[in-house]
Amino acid sequence: MYFPYFATYMAVGIALAIAAFVWALKNGQFTDQQRARFLPLEDDAGAGEVKRSRMGRLEILALGFLACAGLAASAAVLVFALVSF
Amino acid sequence: MTETETIKLSDYATAKGFCLTSAFWMMAATFMGLLGATELIAPAVTENIGGLVFGRVRPTHVNLVLFGFATPGLLAATFYFFPRVLQTRLYSEKLGVFTVIAWNIMLVCTVATLLSGNTQAREYAEMIWPVDILVVLAFALIVFNFFMTVQRRTEPLIYVSIWYACAAAVLTMLTYALGNVIWRPDGGALTGIPDAILLWFYGHNIFGLLLTPLSIGVAYYVVPKAIRAPLYSHTLSLLGFWALIVVYTHIGTHHLLQVPVPTWLKVVAIVDSIAMVIPVMAFLINIWYTARGKLGAIHADIGAKFVFTGTIMYFFVSIQGSMMALPQVQRVTHFNNWVVGHAHIGVLGFSGMIALGGLYYVLPRMTGKPLFSRFLADFQYWLILIGVVGFTVILTIAGLIQGNAWLNGETVYRVLPEIHLYYVIRAALGVLIFVSAVLGFYNIARTMFMPERGAG
Ligand code: HEM
Repeated sequence: MYFPYFATYMAVGIALAIAAFVWALKNGQFTDQQRARFLPLEDDAGAGEVKRSRMGRLEILALGFLACAGLAASAAVLVFALVSF
Repeated sequence: MTETETIKLSDYATAKGFCLTSAFWMMAATFMGLLGATELIAPAVTENIGGLVFGRVRPTHVNLVLFGFATPGLLAATFYFFPRVLQTRLYSEKLGVFTVIAWNIMLVCTVATLLSGNTQAREYAEMIWPVDILVVLAFALIVFNFFMTVQRRTEPLIYVSIWYACAAAVLTMLTYALGNVIWRPDGGALTGIPDAILLWFYGHNIFGLLLTPLSIGVAYYVVPKAIRAPLYSHTLSLLGFWALIVVYTHIGTHHLLQVPVPTWLKVVAIVDSIAMVIPVMAFLINIWYTARGKLGAIHADIGAKFVFTGTIMYFFVSIQGSMMALPQVQRVTHFNNWVVGHAHIGVLGFSGMIALGGLYYVLPRMTGKPLFSRFLADFQYWLILIGVVGFTVILTIAGLIQGNAWLNGETVYRVLPEIHLYYVIRAALGVLIFVSAVLGFYNIARTMFMPERGAG
């Protein structure tokens, strides 16, 4: 018999959710929703947005090689598949 | 000095730790996926290497994607915005760093145990008991850190992202412990059908109550920030949150529609899978309306670009998921590559994209340095986008061939040659994703360890 365990588990889950909901309600979490919309904007972190890459020549070559090798490997596998199919 | 100013750059040690964790393990996880895909084309490739047989590679891949790449990536962004939105400091940065270390020990143990054949052999719950305990402990530490931070907040209102993050941490800690039957250390399982029900209760919750809420939380933070506009509606976002809590918690049985589980459980699962449209659309309408007319700003920020793409993928995966929960549809789509396609849109297209977007958004902000290379990040974006869309198309076609063949009573050995080509293309697409992971790791590591102020 496993139903009682599942039923208990679900009941506990619902009870916890209701408890959290009631806490939120009493705590005024559902009030002042207009202000809540702006919350992420209040911390204005001045982030260094990147404008252009700062890669050196060698890095460009190495990464370009890696990317091309990946693309070439994919293409080779595809061609092989199509030819041998 | 305002409260936000008191949050110093050095405060983000935990977020930085999770950033590196995610970037590093993404390489390992995608490599394992690529290896598995190769083995599906050429099974003899690792014939004499016991540790790398498909049966061990696959669980290593999925667990690393889940706990190595996606979750830490989302946690990185979450640990960044959590104190900021609450206008306080993280309760304990030391505890956070300790959690990151424990998390990485857990990942090393996961790889070592799974590749050496130590498994509990239940899908997504393969890790053995000691590793399970580490996971539960890590989540307990996160819950503690989150809750204490909430308690110390100076902003009385709790923004929706905080609700999602807290719910994800608490619910995962509980469902992980329960779904892995941690009170039975040797087997980690019940027996028979009850075990299948419990396993899939956990299996779906790991996507529905861990990846989904964390991803939604990150999107709700990054999108308004990137476009510098308020959220369309906070009330709608809370409605979506509570709907998700009510609906998502018990739809696991839609994985077992063709198994003799009690009908009432199947009905609950199907009805709630369709009802998922409510939280899904509440979130999507909200976030899309927020971004309406400001797509230029989204495009300009590489983090937001990843995140926004993730929300589009969320639309597809969820609508598809609701359809797949219908028994008639599942007669064709179950037990074949269709589901694998769905899994990749969800975990890589939705959560993975948002995890990377979160990383790229918070990285320059918490290091105080610009991203090492916007070009590399853009390149990674395209590799992943092509990879994941390609996966979806290819695996869906392969799945339909398999599903119909099965319905028609065809034998497996006749079907396998028919899908061989699709497996090959899938592996080719996997190469793109693996390469993108290597480029991403490089970009993230260089951003972090680059000297303070470089040129440009
Ligand atoms: C409304 C939302 C969703 C619904 C209703 C839904 C429904 C389903 C169903 C019915 C299956 C089982 C298919 C079968 O075995 O025949 C499934 C599998 C799966 N879903 Fe979803 N899904 C949803 C969203 C998501 C999201 C957002 C993710 C990822 C973050 C995800 C990840 C997965 C994975 C990984 C599987 C494969 C499980 C396996 O290995 O068998 N799903 N989903």
